Amino acid sequence: MIPFRNELLLTLVWVAISGSYTLPNIVFGFAIGWVVLFIVRDQLQSARVVIRPWATFLLALLFVKELVLSSVRVARLVLSPRLDIKPGIFAYPLRVERDFEITLLANLITLTPGTLSVDVSDDRRTLFVHGMDCSDPDQARADIRQGFERMIMEAFR
Amino acid sequence: MMSGAAFLNMSAIFALGLLSVSFLLVVYRVLKGPTLPDRILALDMLVAVAIGFIAVLGIKSGFTLYVDVAIALGLVGFLATVAFARFVLSGGVDAKNDEAEEERP
Amino acid sequence: MGDIGSYLAGILIVVGALFALTASIGIIRLPDVYTRMHAASKAGTLGSCLMLIGLAVYIGEAATTVRALAGVLFFLLTAPIAAHLLAKAAYSAGYRMWQGSVSDDLAETVQASKKNRQAEP
Repeated sequence: MIPFRNELLLTLVWVAISGSYTLPNIVFGFAIGWVVLFIVRDQLQSARVVIRPWATFLLALLFVKELVLSSVRVARLVLSPRLDIKPGIFAYPLRVERDFEITLLANLITLTPGTLSVDVSDDRRTLFVHGMDCSDPDQARADIRQGFERMIMEAFR
Repeated sequence: MMSGAAFLNMSAIFALGLLSVSFLLVVYRVLKGPTLPDRILALDMLVAVAIGFIAVLGIKSGFTLYVDVAIALGLVGFLATVAFARFVLSGGVDAKNDEAEEERP
Repeated sequence: MGDIGSYLAGILIVVGALFALTASIGIIRLPDVYTRMHAASKAGTLGSCLMLIGLAVYIGEAATTVRALAGVLFFLLTAPIAAHLLAKAAYSAGYRMWQGSVSDDLAETVQASKKNRQAEP
């Protein structure tokens, strides 16, 4: 059973990208969306996801803020005359469980200050994160725990 | 006080200059390496810089078609990076040999 | 298109180009592929996104603006995936981190899973 919501989403993306809001184009986008979803039907999990609009919006805002902050930090670091970095990989025990939540968290971590997700353990319990400043991994873990992971949990369940 | 169009024209030229410098820096990293992932990363960055170029050219020329060019380039760049990463993952290169000539700053 | 739109677009493309430039400097200066990835995936992404938003503001015509914003969303989604995949590939192919790196929690896990894989067949 192909979820209808994904279908609509793909149609919307198609119409937005192709930039033509005529009926034939919408029908065409719908058809293409159906074919795509048909091809990937085995990879899709039909998990019931509850999306809270307000919490999702807050998550998006936090994300934009962190992206700008992290870019500024990278810029400052790179332009400073002495490179004062202590990079390293630390393990982050995950509390979110579902695949899409892990994916989302990993993506958000990559785009935020000083962290870059490298790998997920096979049992999906641990995320390995490369940190630009790994002198205090506990602090970095607490930041992720209090920031993105909490907000993802609030937004999607 | 400059008019909007003049300001936009000046900033477009300034942005093109900045982008040219970053283009050269990234090309230097592609050529120098020293390892394959470095080169792949630099190629990925090259695509990002090229998208910037396209956006600025779109503003300078007023052609809306450049938006589609940028999206298509981003898609192709992403697929290329993924393909390269899978090549590295599949053990297509020997990391130890590749690293042997590497020099650390 | 008013003057405000022109000013905004001009500022956006210049700031975006500055971020792209710092990302490139980072790619040159940082010591290993993992730290370089930080520069490219954050500052680089933000740079090209800002410039695309500048283009969207400049054009200011609904269909094209929506397309440009869809492009921005697309880059925000794909850039971390590309960086993540490349980091994972580089790590499991055996590229080491810079000598100045302070911790590596992944090393033990990779060793253990390698042992498991050798023990299995």
